[in-house]
Amino acid sequence: MTPSIASPARRTPRTRSTAALGGLLTLALTLSACGGGGTKETADSSPGATSSVDTLKLANAVAVDTLDPIQASANESIWLDQNIYARLVQTDPTGTKIVPDLADKWEISADQLTYTFHLRPGVKFADGTPVTAQDAKWSIERARAGEDSAWGFLITPVTDITATDDQTLTIKLSTPHAPLLADLAMYAYAVLPQKAVEADKDFFDKTPYGAGPFKVTSLSAQSNLVLTRNDNYWGPKPKIKTVEVSIVTDDNTRLLQLQGGQVDVIENPAGNVLKQIQANPKLRVDLFDSTRVDFVSLPLKTKPLDNVKVRQAIKAALDLGRMNTLAYQGNAKVANTFFPYKMLFWDEAAPEPKQDLAKAKQLLADAGYPDGFTIPLIAVSADAAGQAQAVVIKDDLAKIGITVDIQSFELSTAYDKQRPGTNGMGMRYWTNDIIDPDEVATFGADGGGGANAFNSYWKDEAVTALVNQARSETDTTKRADLYAQIQTAIADQVPFIPLAYAPFRYASGSWVKGFKASPLGNYNDSLLTLTVEGH
Amino acid sequence: MGSSVNLRWSRVANLVPVLFGITLVSFLLLRLVPGDPAQQILGNRYTPEAAAGIRRTLGLDRPLLEQYWMFLKGAMTGSFGESYQYHRPVGELLLDRTGASLMLVGLTAVFCAALSIPLGIWAAVRRGGLVDQATRVLFTLGFALPAFLVGIVLILVFGLTLGWAPIGGYGTGVASHLGHLVLPALTLAIPFSTVLVRSLRSSTITVLEADFVTIARLKGISESRILLRHVLRNAIGPVAVVFGINLAFLVGGTVVVENVFSIPGLGSLLVGAVSTRDYPVVQAVALVLAVFVVLVNLLTDVVHGLLDPRLAAGVQR
Repeated sequence: MTPSIASPARRTPRTRSTAALGGLLTLALTLSACGGGGTKETADSSPGATSSVDTLKLANAVAVDTLDPIQASANESIWLDQNIYARLVQTDPTGTKIVPDLADKWEISADQLTYTFHLRPGVKFADGTPVTAQDAKWSIERARAGEDSAWGFLITPVTDITATDDQTLTIKLSTPHAPLLADLAMYAYAVLPQKAVEADKDFFDKTPYGAGPFKVTSLSAQSNLVLTRNDNYWGPKPKIKTVEVSIVTDDNTRLLQLQGGQVDVIENPAGNVLKQIQANPKLRVDLFDSTRVDFVSLPLKTKPLDNVKVRQAIKAALDLGRMNTLAYQGNAKVANTFFPYKMLFWDEAAPEPKQDLAKAKQLLADAGYPDGFTIPLIAVSADAAGQAQAVVIKDDLAKIGITVDIQSFELSTAYDKQRPGTNGMGMRYWTNDIIDPDEVATFGADGGGGANAFNSYWKDEAVTALVNQARSETDTTKRADLYAQIQTAIADQVPFIPLAYAPFRYASGSWVKGFKASPLGNYNDSLLTLTVEGH
Repeated sequence: MGSSVNLRWSRVANLVPVLFGITLVSFLLLRLVPGDPAQQILGNRYTPEAAAGIRRTLGLDRPLLEQYWMFLKGAMTGSFGESYQYHRPVGELLLDRTGASLMLVGLTAVFCAALSIPLGIWAAVRRGGLVDQATRVLFTLGFALPAFLVGIVLILVFGLTLGWAPIGGYGTGVASHLGHLVLPALTLAIPFSTVLVRSLRSSTITVLEADFVTIARLKGISESRILLRHVLRNAIGPVAVVFGINLAFLVGGTVVVENVFSIPGLGSLLVGAVSTRDYPVVQAVALVLAVFVVLVNLLTDVVHGLLDPRLAAGVQR
């Protein structure tokens, strides 16, 4: 059985920027390998360590909420979890394939109901104790049915988990569940040292460790944390020894710290200073493909959005290309479906929406609103890109007689106003936690699911059935077809309009070679190979 | 003296309703603002069922009065519950964060004294001179500029261009903490000092014109001795009151400055907690800051009374 659930038909050529970055990475590795002899890393016994500076300093905008993988909700915590804890399987750097982690092989029974995982021989936690199938069983049970876990809903078909021996784990299902491997690759299903976690109720608040490439050696009041290379890691040893993460909430300060060389990499540089950063030869901006999808929701509980023609008219009136230019300086891609860009089963063939004002006016007239109407649009005040998107929506809809009243609120308030669906249109976005589209399909297209189709309160029994069918379908070609149908249904029914595929933004010093984030946002693969030069 | 003691005890007794009011208002304001902690915790993964579960666990499904009573009961025993965001006891978070804030306020006070006492006296003695004129211009500027702007200018000049001081963070170890706090403390001390310089200048001028100074001069006591022994001691009283009143504003300033310089203090804790609707943390920090302001005001009155016995005696005026 091949440890891959990627559909070859869905592979697309890498983008130019990714290829360029790959080239840069190769160049960096070659250069650093050449200069390796003269570095100060002689005390370090790990082979291939070529980083002349052994610490990477990373400035995040958001504090780590918790390092307990089943409770983490901030992306910045989740991405660190993946450096600290290993899982049975993991996602590859492209975010489209499942590859081995602690389990180097696994079998799936013919009826797709039994998964048997074999742990790699000799895998250890950072403290040197062996990783056993019992640890994996306990950790998965904790994530699946634990009192504090928010993630059980992902693998509800699991009926039994058994540690047959120290190295073999069997998972039994009630019905086939195609996303199972993708779910187990998620941070919440990380394999934790059972004894250590049970022995200390404050395990995750001190210096938690797992079987990942790094362990936490300092965790200071959620203001900074230090990761140190785990020498017991089964895989390739990271070239850097330490990662220092500091929390710098102020956008300007983060950039100033990078300019001053106090930190090496910063997340989310403000969109309007990207050009300025790029003009500095010592700095670099990286835009990585992400699973972020910006959308505007058209909740059916707000009149006249209950009329499908009105929703279609709004969609036809929008110029998404112009919106992308204004909101992201052209750095995002226009969204063609509500599935994240290039993710598994993303419908590459789906057409990009084009502005058609004549069609929009006709639809509006057919719906009984030839003179348009007035409707509120709830936006998030501190989000520059979202504000720009809202302005373009207002401007475009004015062309077909719809008056948009933009109401901006701070994030929590904005979402609170959007949730009931009765207060007008709303600016939102989505990011994936797993590589399988089951999660986004359930939240976005399953009107019977708990999230009311992203709070649009749109419901279509046929589409709900498709979502459930796609989850249990294990033939990838058939699955791809089901998900294409779901994406088409949303494009036609327009409970929300996907606007843009926005990239993850990072800025770093040119002295950092090879920092890269995967489409899921994590950077554990790049921390294994990146190097930092003196500056 | 008896009357002055009574005066102070009644002031202390007054604190109880003041603090009670502050907790009630901050509690209610926070809950009047829309925004659901469950939404913050769940993010994209929000479903009504999951949110209901979280609200039940956090006790947010109970009546408001009951929630407030739980908070009061906890606060009286020194327990503020657990942070929604960090999953840690709020008391622990407060302890972790108080040190940085206290150190920042302390260093700011030192800088204030170092800046304002010499400048204030100089400006008074050489009235109309260069220093006097300069402090007048600085007063206007320092008071008008917002703290975040002063902070960023200092970062640019002393952090980036000159490379004299770290531009953010907190470091490890006391010496390193102090180094990291130099620029933030200056950011706070500059506008604060401008107020103190002007008030020290005017009170010094008043004292310089007093008869006892003239007598001292006639006695042949040296000018520097007169300034330090006689003038400063008498001029500092009114300034202490200005200092105390403004210390309350300083607390507001630290909230901004801690965010600009990424200092893990109470201010940055508060900002993060407000935006994530982390109710227990916001309530606890609000209470701690309120206690601080109220205590400073009380101390100001006491100090003022000690410096000026006419106030303490009250009725004898």
